[in-house]
Amino acid sequence: MKPVMPATVVEPAGAGKAVRIWRIVLGVAGVALLGYGLLGLPTQLGPPQLLGLLVWLAVAVLLHDGVIVPVSTLTGAGLTRLGSGLRPASAAVLRGALMTGVVVTVIAGILLKAQSVARNTSALEGDYAAHLLWFWAVLAGLAAVLVYGIERAGPGRGEREQKTRP
Amino acid sequence: MEKLTNAVAARFASPTRSTRLTVVLGRWLGLSFTICFLTGLFSHGLQEPPSWMFFPTSPVWIYQLTQGIHVTTGIAAIPLLLAKLWSVYPELLKWPPVKSLAHALERASIALFIASSLLQLTTGLINTYKWYPWPFPFRQTHFWLAWVIWGSLLLHIAVKLPLIIEHWRARSRTRPRAASGAGSPGQVIDDGVAVAGPGRWSRRAFLAAVGTTAGVVVLTTVGQSFSWLDPLNLFAPRKMGTGPQAVPVNRTAADAKVADLAGAKDWTLTVSHQGTARPLPLSELQALPQYEHELPIACVEGWSQTATWRGVRIRDLVAAVGAPSSSSLRVTSLEPEGAYRTMDMPAAYVQDERTLVALELNGQALDLDHGYPARIIAPGRPGVLQTKWLHTVEVL
Repeated sequence: MKPVMPATVVEPAGAGKAVRIWRIVLGVAGVALLGYGLLGLPTQLGPPQLLGLLVWLAVAVLLHDGVIVPVSTLTGAGLTRLGSGLRPASAAVLRGALMTGVVVTVIAGILLKAQSVARNTSALEGDYAAHLLWFWAVLAGLAAVLVYGIERAGPGRGEREQKTRP
Repeated sequence: MEKLTNAVAARFASPTRSTRLTVVLGRWLGLSFTICFLTGLFSHGLQEPPSWMFFPTSPVWIYQLTQGIHVTTGIAAIPLLLAKLWSVYPELLKWPPVKSLAHALERASIALFIASSLLQLTTGLINTYKWYPWPFPFRQTHFWLAWVIWGSLLLHIAVKLPLIIEHWRARSRTRPRAASGAGSPGQVIDDGVAVAGPGRWSRRAFLAAVGTTAGVVVLTTVGQSFSWLDPLNLFAPRKMGTGPQAVPVNRTAADAKVADLAGAKDWTLTVSHQGTARPLPLSELQALPQYEHELPIACVEGWSQTATWRGVRIRDLVAAVGAPSSSSLRVTSLEPEGAYRTMDMPAAYVQDERTLVALELNGQALDLDHGYPARIIAPGRPGVLQTKWLHTVEVL
């Protein structure tokens, strides 16, 4: 693959013979493995279980596309307003901290739900709610220190260049 | 309709999204899915071995390592998958949704890929909590969906290969994904350094945040598998050192309904070979040469715990009934029912001198929940095959 990349490329590269062969090999292998998995499912799952699986697959997609992405997009828009007075690095720290915090909270939330229905005494023994509170406290503290440090420091190289441009 | 979808897509447009971002995230996700797939196949092969399966017993922590990596990588893949799907979300809103039969098949395969991946990671995580709120069997579904996902991954790479090659290296800044008509995905517009707008973040900052998130979820859970990271274990379902005799338990004696049988004074372990059976009461087992080994008990759910086990070598018991050490065994538990009531042990474990009929754990007689009066402990095997509350050992 030659590293040819002019400034205004519209058509994607990678149209050579080797790429075509690779695409065929990967495509055939992919369809074969995918088909093996799909055909294997009904050998061990009965019709009601397959129906249940289909429902869960559909709900997973609907929840993701209909709730998670729209909510994260709205949150992102809010953060854009909130962070517009901050340096880009500070805004990135805020967004990154929120992303980490939300993902950890979702995982811990499922853990807490599982804990409420658990039967096994040696699993799920942690005080996850307290751990989550501590985690948020440390995360918020770290983010605050970083944002404070960035805002107190001088503008970065990219920002200086931006400001000197006409 | 096209105007409507373009307007909705414009609302979801972000300068952070680009084909290059998708390719970078795709690389991380593809690697993590591949690691999960291979380590998962290894675990499946140990539990339901095909005729050609190999059974490594050294190092003794091999299954602890592979299954710890399997579960941890799966957890790390959660933020990677969410970020990857976020990066291509406007593609969902493109109009018309189907342009040709080939396009329809491609979209269908992507829908299957996304749905399977979301479900696989979610149910995989919840399975480690031993919570099963779904109406299908976990293990079988997890296995077959893994093939669906990895096949879909290869197919997706085949379809997108030209774009992947084009954006494999960071050379140019690509225009954000949007259905506004201003630019198509992957269109290269200049060679400048990405600069975030006011309040926004650059592609590199986004990737750093995704990487940090994946790192944080790994660091706060991986301590259930690897002891040196135990102090950071905040959100894993298991904590090292918990449970009776400081070792966690998956299936208790009460769950298995074996308390009365296992606690009976006339309990014996029966070892049989070619029609002859030798009953061994506990006192006789205790009188045989005892061996002590440090071995991890490593669960399919990712947690593990190294402990000191003491008991009789299984190969000594096999020799005692006149069978060769190259024999394989069928071990039966006192459990009246359950998927792992009987366990087949390949010859590789029988021959290994560290495979024990354990009578003691960490210097004390086994706790009832750990398999009293006797259990199997073998190097490099999944915890579900370390049969507890032994009843019979049959040479096959």
